[in-house]
Amino acid sequence: MTSPVQTEDTSVPGGNGPDALTKDGAQETKTQEGLSPGQLMWRRFRRDRTGIISACVVIFFFAIALLAPLISKVYGKDPYTLYGQNSLDLLNEFNMPAGSFGGASGSYWFGIEPNLGRDVFTQLLYGMRTSIFTALGATVLIVVVGVLIGLVGGYFGGTIDYWLGRFTDLMLGFPSQLFMIASMPVITAAFVAPDENTPTWLRAGAIIAVVGGLGWMGIARLMRAATLTMREREFVEAAKISGASPWRIIRKELLPNLWSPILVQATLQLPNTVLNVAFLSFVGVGFVEPTPDWGRMFANGADYIQLDPWYMLYPGVAMVIFVVAFNLLGDSVRDAFDPKSGR
Amino acid sequence: MLQFLIRRTFGAFLILVLISAITYFMFFAIPQDPALLACGKNCTPDALAVVHKNLGLDQPVPVQYWHYVVGIVMGRDIQGGHCAAPCLGVSFANGRNVWSTILDRFPLTLSLMVGGAIVFLIVGLGAGMLAAYKKGSLTDKIFSGGSLVLSSLQIYFLGPLVVLALVISTGWLEMPSYTPISENPVAWFSGLVIPWAVMATIFTAQYTRMSRSSMIEQLQEEHVRAARAKGMSAPYVFFRYAWRGSLIPIVTILGIDIGALLGGGIVTEITFNLAGIGRLARDSVIQKDLPMTLGVMLFSSAFILLCNIVVDACYAFIDPRVRLS
Amino acid sequence: MRIFGSRRTQAAVIAVAAGSLALTACGGGSGNSSKGQPKTKTQQDAKKMSEPVKFGDAAASTGPAPAVPGAHSGGTMQVYQKSDFSHLDPGQTYVSDGKVLDDLLQRGLTQYAQDANGNLTVVGDLATDSGKESDGGKTWTYTLKDGIKDQNGNAITSAVIRHSIERLYASFETDGPTYVQQWLSGAGSSYRKALPKGGYDGKHLPDSVLATPDAKTVVFHFKTPEPDLPQALTMPGYSAVPIKGDTKQKYDQMPLSTGPYKIADFKPGKSMTLVKNPQWDPKTDSVRHQYVDGFDINLNVQNEDQTKAILADRGNDKNAMMWTGAVATTEVPTVTANKAAMKRTIQGYQPYVWQMNFNMNRIKDKRIRDAIAYAMPSAQMYKLDGGAFGGEVATGLLAPTLPGFDPNFDPFGKKKMPNGNIPKAKKLIKEAGAEGKKVVYAYANTQIRQQQSVVITNMLKKIGLDPVTKEVDNATWYEQMGKIKNGMDLYMTGWGQDWPSASTVIPPSYDGTNLQDGSSDYSHINDPKVNADIAKAEKITDPAKAKAAWTAIHEDIVKRINPAAPVYFTKTFQIFGSNVGGLRYSNDLNEVDVKQVFLKK
Repeated sequence: MTSPVQTEDTSVPGGNGPDALTKDGAQETKTQEGLSPGQLMWRRFRRDRTGIISACVVIFFFAIALLAPLISKVYGKDPYTLYGQNSLDLLNEFNMPAGSFGGASGSYWFGIEPNLGRDVFTQLLYGMRTSIFTALGATVLIVVVGVLIGLVGGYFGGTIDYWLGRFTDLMLGFPSQLFMIASMPVITAAFVAPDENTPTWLRAGAIIAVVGGLGWMGIARLMRAATLTMREREFVEAAKISGASPWRIIRKELLPNLWSPILVQATLQLPNTVLNVAFLSFVGVGFVEPTPDWGRMFANGADYIQLDPWYMLYPGVAMVIFVVAFNLLGDSVRDAFDPKSGR
Repeated sequence: MLQFLIRRTFGAFLILVLISAITYFMFFAIPQDPALLACGKNCTPDALAVVHKNLGLDQPVPVQYWHYVVGIVMGRDIQGGHCAAPCLGVSFANGRNVWSTILDRFPLTLSLMVGGAIVFLIVGLGAGMLAAYKKGSLTDKIFSGGSLVLSSLQIYFLGPLVVLALVISTGWLEMPSYTPISENPVAWFSGLVIPWAVMATIFTAQYTRMSRSSMIEQLQEEHVRAARAKGMSAPYVFFRYAWRGSLIPIVTILGIDIGALLGGGIVTEITFNLAGIGRLARDSVIQKDLPMTLGVMLFSSAFILLCNIVVDACYAFIDPRVRLS
Repeated sequence: MRIFGSRRTQAAVIAVAAGSLALTACGGGSGNSSKGQPKTKTQQDAKKMSEPVKFGDAAASTGPAPAVPGAHSGGTMQVYQKSDFSHLDPGQTYVSDGKVLDDLLQRGLTQYAQDANGNLTVVGDLATDSGKESDGGKTWTYTLKDGIKDQNGNAITSAVIRHSIERLYASFETDGPTYVQQWLSGAGSSYRKALPKGGYDGKHLPDSVLATPDAKTVVFHFKTPEPDLPQALTMPGYSAVPIKGDTKQKYDQMPLSTGPYKIADFKPGKSMTLVKNPQWDPKTDSVRHQYVDGFDINLNVQNEDQTKAILADRGNDKNAMMWTGAVATTEVPTVTANKAAMKRTIQGYQPYVWQMNFNMNRIKDKRIRDAIAYAMPSAQMYKLDGGAFGGEVATGLLAPTLPGFDPNFDPFGKKKMPNGNIPKAKKLIKEAGAEGKKVVYAYANTQIRQQQSVVITNMLKKIGLDPVTKEVDNATWYEQMGKIKNGMDLYMTGWGQDWPSASTVIPPSYDGTNLQDGSSDYSHINDPKVNADIAKAEKITDPAKAKAAWTAIHEDIVKRINPAAPVYFTKTFQIFGSNVGGLRYSNDLNEVDVKQVFLKK
């Protein structure tokens, strides 16, 4: 595992990524074309209608997740109040939504949650917020660790590469989903005194660590391969001869040129990570009540499917749209960076 | 070939040792006494001490681990009984032999995986090839688009919906359940049809895309085009030459996917209430039943590693250019 | 008896039925019954369960058992069970799954007989009567019947009975009841020192403790009067275990049978097949029948699948029954709407009371405890755990299944305000000056408890406390709550009687003299008056007087101390195939009575 200090280090260029990309990339390609690869990519991407639409959908999801508190304020409900328990006519005698379509109405857009009687719309909003933010964190971790291990292995080669490679193999040999489940309780239990509440941020942190820690291997392999070809290029040789330290070469020479595959991988990785986070909650080791959570809505929804299928429909459809849009976006980004690939 | 097998088996063995060690020590990082699980009613300090002794928890963790490893190789005596050679210990939660519990649950998981894989390979490869064959046509677009949407569905969303539509509302199919194939093949099949279909739906898309693109690539290969130029018919070339070449990337992905398939198995088993390895793993993790968790982890890791070796060995048969060295 | 066998916790969430017909009935009164809505079991029905038990003489204990009207012999019963049996060794059996199974497989010295009105009588099972007391209840003598044999045909003698008791002292017998051992040889786990090897080394308890003067007679000598012995001996934990064939630890995997059926085949986690035990002689047994040829038990079938299959009533499922299963929550609306199917159901109270324990060492101000008890949203709580067919608002800490249950005892006004009296609670909290006080509330990590935690946290916030929630492993929930320094303030536990007497509820839960890590006094109450009263009540030999004494202690505990807020009583609702006959609710098992079921065709 990478030490936090190193992680910090590499994420710095990540923070001002586009600038670094334009600057260095421009230096290299100025003589050939007037446009940086970033600009080229943007041009190509703009022409891709599917890409634009899916990007809009994805942005929409992020916006909803970000603005959930605001939306719920305007909408006038929150995901915690037990509306159905406080009012007598929202739930029927079997604790199921009394109205049709899962109790959907003008004041409860997506209906009422069976049993507890919370508002499904805000539950979903906040649930997506929880899941997407957690997944974002995990994706950053995956990319950072993957890139770092790939770059280091690819650049240094030799013994370092051998051992990093074996380590990657070892991690690939793990039944990762099983291991995720197995390590979740350990991580949460390890940091919390038995008589204290496990704070939600710690749970989120544990999920990020588990999903991230078991998901970086693919990116590491790709990065290693990319670095291997890059390492022999003239500009790297030149930097070496001029006495630049390995860290400087990795940061200033290799990384800027690897941005496009990194970005593509990150885009492809995120929906998978959202699904992994949801998976943990579905099997019962993720977030707990009362934190609204996308994955748990499925676990509960499966129980109510016969009496109230509507409860599962909204989160389900939302997730399908989200994943489809993200996959399409991933394809478009890849095409934009590398027109030869894919279709 | 033999050398390859020996080398890979040794590597796999090493990985298993590491996995077991990591899991074992990780578990003891939990600040909760694992003996509580086996302590029973009125868990007084006296009773707890007895349980500690019975389970061997009174010894240092490395010593316990050593006993565990020795037990796997040679068997050992636990809790007054002998636990034969691949001894993965005895569950803290219910005192059952871990190895036999796993063997008991595994056929279901294997049925799910193999059945699901057959369905998605046939459907996925077929659709992919058809799409490649008619590249750019409407069929191609429908297949590619459809597979994208289907692959974005989740087992835990699609599963209950399918059950609602095909079992609860209409009664067309049977509630998913498991009957061993040796007992009643018909019941085995009809009970697993829905899980297979649902699992396959999720996995098919990837294979459709994969086989489509690798097929298109193959159709542009020199030897394929040469065959076509010689005047062989398109379908003949398609099946005689291109097909075989396109299998290589697919086998690779399949090898990688066995882990994912096992993971998909967990969700499938939970979604449809089937008692296989996945559910066993989930339940024992949640209960913090160390021997059972560890046993399942080791068993499934070993299974995945074994599959990977088999897949790698398969390359040699599919593509004579590949040498196992 | 604890709701979950500690090692079996994952198994049986008793969650039963959804909905709350009783509650909606509040609004419409009698108007609702015109809609033909099925009624749930009321406390009137439970009343007959709460009579003190009677003790049967030799005539009542002589076989064969009275025939069940319309009974028919033959056929194989299909059984659906949610979870695996945690133990097969009767000495380890304490939870209801095992109790139901052992009702068919095992016989002890005594057993309950249930009459047409549901009243229970303790009768002799292997013994000729329910026991002869002397020396003021300190000495109990049992004489064995003639012609009793185990499944291998070996006669059950007094030596076998002595062995059955003595083996419970062995260290591997950890999960079974400990009443008789403690009465004979000392409290806590100190009794084990009297016979550390459990008699397997040839040593025996002295005759001054457990004597077998001849092959037919067993005499128990206790230090103090033990009026409940005949009832304790009905527990499966005190069934006869033959000397020849006792495989110690391994007995848990394949026990020998002494009852009407024996195990022919057992695949853990999958199935168990019971067949007739030809060595069982109906003439020696006054309570059991052997109508069906055998039972095919399918294990690991969830309540939902059980209900669906039995409700559909197709093919072999016509012969299917539940044992400890119950109609799944999601199926209750379907089942209750189906009049024909309702005829195939039975309902009854279960002996468990869910209570919100206060950690008495941490919440010392009674006003805070009272506030929470007043504010407890009991109706919302049981609605989440199954609804009107799965529970009912609890008014006190004794279940409706116990003698001495008083339906009018309702100190916290739960009947009028089933969702809690928030204003009253707020006032109490204010008086106590506890506004904003941090309370650590723990719950088990199951779906139902998680959802209930939302309701509880909500309530705690409403009355002005600052709840800190703590999720705890369900599998070791009771072990963790049983620690004296568990670090929690509030936690919900369930307890049920071992036999219909408050003596199996109040002492384990509220007697402070037992207080130590792992004891079931989860509230850590240790009150000198209560302790003294309990000690007195335990020695009362007259059932009616004992009942009155326990009732008084219960009221004193709830009103004066309030160590735990009553939350809800539990009920069960079971459905059976159309070909299953002899259905009745057993007030001993608190499930369907398996001893007398038959197949109509």
